[in-house]
Amino acid sequence: MLSRIFQHQESGLVLVIILLMSALSIYGMFYPVKVKSPTVFPESVEVHFVDKQGTEHAQGELGRNQIHAFRFTVNAETTEYPSSRVDRYDSETRTLYLQSWKNPFLNKDNLVLVAKNASFFAIMAVGMTGVIILAGIDLSVGSIYGFCAILGAMALNTLGTDASWMLSIPIGIGVCVLAGALCGLANGAMTVGFGVHPFVITLGMMATLRGLTVYTSQAMFDKQSIGHLSSSFTEGFVKREFFGVYPVPILFMVVVAIGGWFVLARTVFGRRILAIGGNETAAKYAGIPVGRVKILVYTITGALAGLSAALYIGYLGSAETNAGNAYELQVIAATVIGGASLMGGRGTALGAVLGAIIIQLINNAMVNLGVDPSVNQIVMGGAIILAVIIDQSKQRLAARRS
Amino acid sequence: MNETDREPILVAENISKRFGQTQALSDVSVSFRAGEVHALMGENGAGKSTLGKVIAGLHKQDTGTISLRGKALKPGSLDGAFHAGVRIVHQELAQCPNLSVSENLCLHDMPTRRGAVHFAEMTLRAESLVHQLDPTINVTKPLGYLSPGRRQICQIAASLDRGADGSTNARVIVFDEPTSSLSISEATTLMNITRKLAADGLCIIYVSHRMSEIFTCCDRVSVLRDGKYVATNVVAEITEPVLVEQMIGRRIEPIEDGSHKSPIRIAIEQVADGQAHHVDAGEPRLRVRSLNSPGKLNDVSLDLHPGEVLGVGGLVGAGRSELFDAIFGLDKRMTGSILVNGKEIAGKGTRAAIKAGIGLGYVPEDRRNQGLFFNLGIDENIITPIMPEISGIGGIRRMNTELDTVKQRIERFQIKTASLRQTTPGELSGGNQQKLLIARWMTQSTRVLLLDEPTRGIDVGTKAEVYKLIRAAAEDGLAILLVSSEMPELLALSDRILVMGEGCIRGELIGEEMTQTNILTLATQENKPVGV
Repeated sequence: MLSRIFQHQESGLVLVIILLMSALSIYGMFYPVKVKSPTVFPESVEVHFVDKQGTEHAQGELGRNQIHAFRFTVNAETTEYPSSRVDRYDSETRTLYLQSWKNPFLNKDNLVLVAKNASFFAIMAVGMTGVIILAGIDLSVGSIYGFCAILGAMALNTLGTDASWMLSIPIGIGVCVLAGALCGLANGAMTVGFGVHPFVITLGMMATLRGLTVYTSQAMFDKQSIGHLSSSFTEGFVKREFFGVYPVPILFMVVVAIGGWFVLARTVFGRRILAIGGNETAAKYAGIPVGRVKILVYTITGALAGLSAALYIGYLGSAETNAGNAYELQVIAATVIGGASLMGGRGTALGAVLGAIIIQLINNAMVNLGVDPSVNQIVMGGAIILAVIIDQSKQRLAARRS
Repeated sequence: MNETDREPILVAENISKRFGQTQALSDVSVSFRAGEVHALMGENGAGKSTLGKVIAGLHKQDTGTISLRGKALKPGSLDGAFHAGVRIVHQELAQCPNLSVSENLCLHDMPTRRGAVHFAEMTLRAESLVHQLDPTINVTKPLGYLSPGRRQICQIAASLDRGADGSTNARVIVFDEPTSSLSISEATTLMNITRKLAADGLCIIYVSHRMSEIFTCCDRVSVLRDGKYVATNVVAEITEPVLVEQMIGRRIEPIEDGSHKSPIRIAIEQVADGQAHHVDAGEPRLRVRSLNSPGKLNDVSLDLHPGEVLGVGGLVGAGRSELFDAIFGLDKRMTGSILVNGKEIAGKGTRAAIKAGIGLGYVPEDRRNQGLFFNLGIDENIITPIMPEISGIGGIRRMNTELDTVKQRIERFQIKTASLRQTTPGELSGGNQQKLLIARWMTQSTRVLLLDEPTRGIDVGTKAEVYKLIRAAAEDGLAILLVSSEMPELLALSDRILVMGEGCIRGELIGEEMTQTNILTLATQENKPVGV
């Protein structure tokens, strides 16, 4: 059983994630962050400052260092807070700031934040995996994301903030996914139809769509940022609160990952993608409709970029014309870290999702460590190169053993 | 020719060379003279090209020596042979079609001036080489713009590089199938150049299987067969039938004492035994009419009946694989008519060819590049074409159905594999890889099977298995079109044989006519002018 788990491509990625998370948690234990939680007392409060001997003093009689405890009496009920738990007391607003220490990494809010940030990239990376297995590439996902976000935001803005969820959810998601699918279809059709390398076609689409995004937004709304979306789509759906966190984008990521795995591993279409990536000539000789499969893969990739964009506008409640700028590189990086080969024929949906999570973990670590953003980029670049080198040598080792 | 010319300039002694399981050359000795065009002839796989490449240092011989003017050359050293004055001109030699002719000619040593490429100097240098062969070639044009014939001339020119004194350093030039991709007029030009170079005192080693060229431009011809030296003849003193006889070794055929049978012959006889095979003479299952494809096929027509194995003979480049590609719908420029069971599939692409009710299958000749998926398991390699049929709604795979199908095939074709899912084709032996590929297409729905060199590069035991499978499939009513460059195999397996050459059907052989001599005669002859 254990050996079967380790045979899987993804086992290494899961191991890396566990190691990263453990390292960050342990670091967080040694360097916890201070959390201040305010408690406001009613006007009838009596405040006393207690010194070491237990004598009560009025405000201003003792220095901060001499205070041993804070004693609050409200309606004859007295509560005492030891000075070690108190950050400060504001007498004007009668607010007591209690302080506590928590692990900056290992807490509910931070973990959900990492997963939420990863989900936007992971959803696109699942589509990108299909493209990269075909030995292709899609540089336009970031621009498709931005374009769909603006279109979706315009639709939801037009619906008005009070539109019913029955209208806003299908339209919000539908507009984004459809627009993305059409962009992807254009990518695929041009790549196959003209027989041009997808790098060139998608590079062109990247610039075209970015320009179109700014142009559309300017022409129709005269601004770079579109807000005031239907709240039934934002707070009511994508940014709905459950147990104090916002898990909807993460749920979408899980569904897309499982769907991606199923399509690639368990459907004829998915296996054809792998066959074409492994040997395109042989695929032609085996009667696989190579062109059709390729076009469909690009279309799906575009649609997933659209889905990701829908989640983005729902979560933020607005869209900006530069949304998704340079995302394509992060998405490709996630896919490659996830074990997909740019030579084609190899890659998994689960790997792509794990790759996206690793990237976000590194990002989160840099923020928690308070590292300069430029250093963050250096580390990220190094991590990508390292991941690919490790994967390559693993492949070579496996090849030698067989 | 005066007496000094009679001394050999280059001598190959006791050359042996083995590639894996194939003994390409065994103990071959030939000597070549300056000022002669010396042909090396033989069937496909006779070892003539290998000998040429050993002489030029492209291949390293296992035993034996090549000596130029009495001095032994370092085995397998292209550089050593080059400095001694041995050159080779062949199709696969690296050329950069995106660079100009002059850049191609000066690739190893570009003239520079103050660190920048000196284009004027380069043009002059290239012209001095090229224009002695063909003054009309513009050396500043990209090489890729030239016709194949002119490209070949540029390659020859490159081999005539000059020394410090202005005379060429080249002493011996090996031409490896120089005319195989040329038109007739281009080939004539090339042969004139060949004669001219020999007249200048060079020794030309001319590897070819085109009979007419041997008789128009060569002085002597050495024949190889199955990697062994047969004879060297003066061209003026020999006739075509004698040469063909030397190439195929007819004398071996009638001997049936069993002592000198090659293993392959034994394998074939096992299959051919008791072969009272009857072919359904009714409606043909595959009817091809006037198939044309620019530069590849020229008015090809054929009929193939159920239960028949129709062999397609011919030399390398005769258009046999191109014919298969066209029938299978892979040639987009093809015109003509292809009827399977009376249904037209021409121009409808591969999907139409393999779909149920038509049932075309194609085992291509190059299993590594055209056949197998090395990133997928054995199971998926076998069921590739029928995967949609055995899957559920929406193309969702039925893993158990797949596994059953795969197990059946593995068993029937006796493919030896460690596991069905985890093993990839790269871990299989060549023979098992080939059986896997045949297994892919031998399904219930296949009606017509195109087999292109089904036994290339596999061991004798597996060959025998493949022969049995082919014959058994034909008995079951499958219609099989078979291309093979191994004559005994083609003769033993086929009910009829079509011989192709230069994209045309040159003739059909039935029954007693099916002999190596007849195949080779048809394959090597010139195309008849159209309309005769």
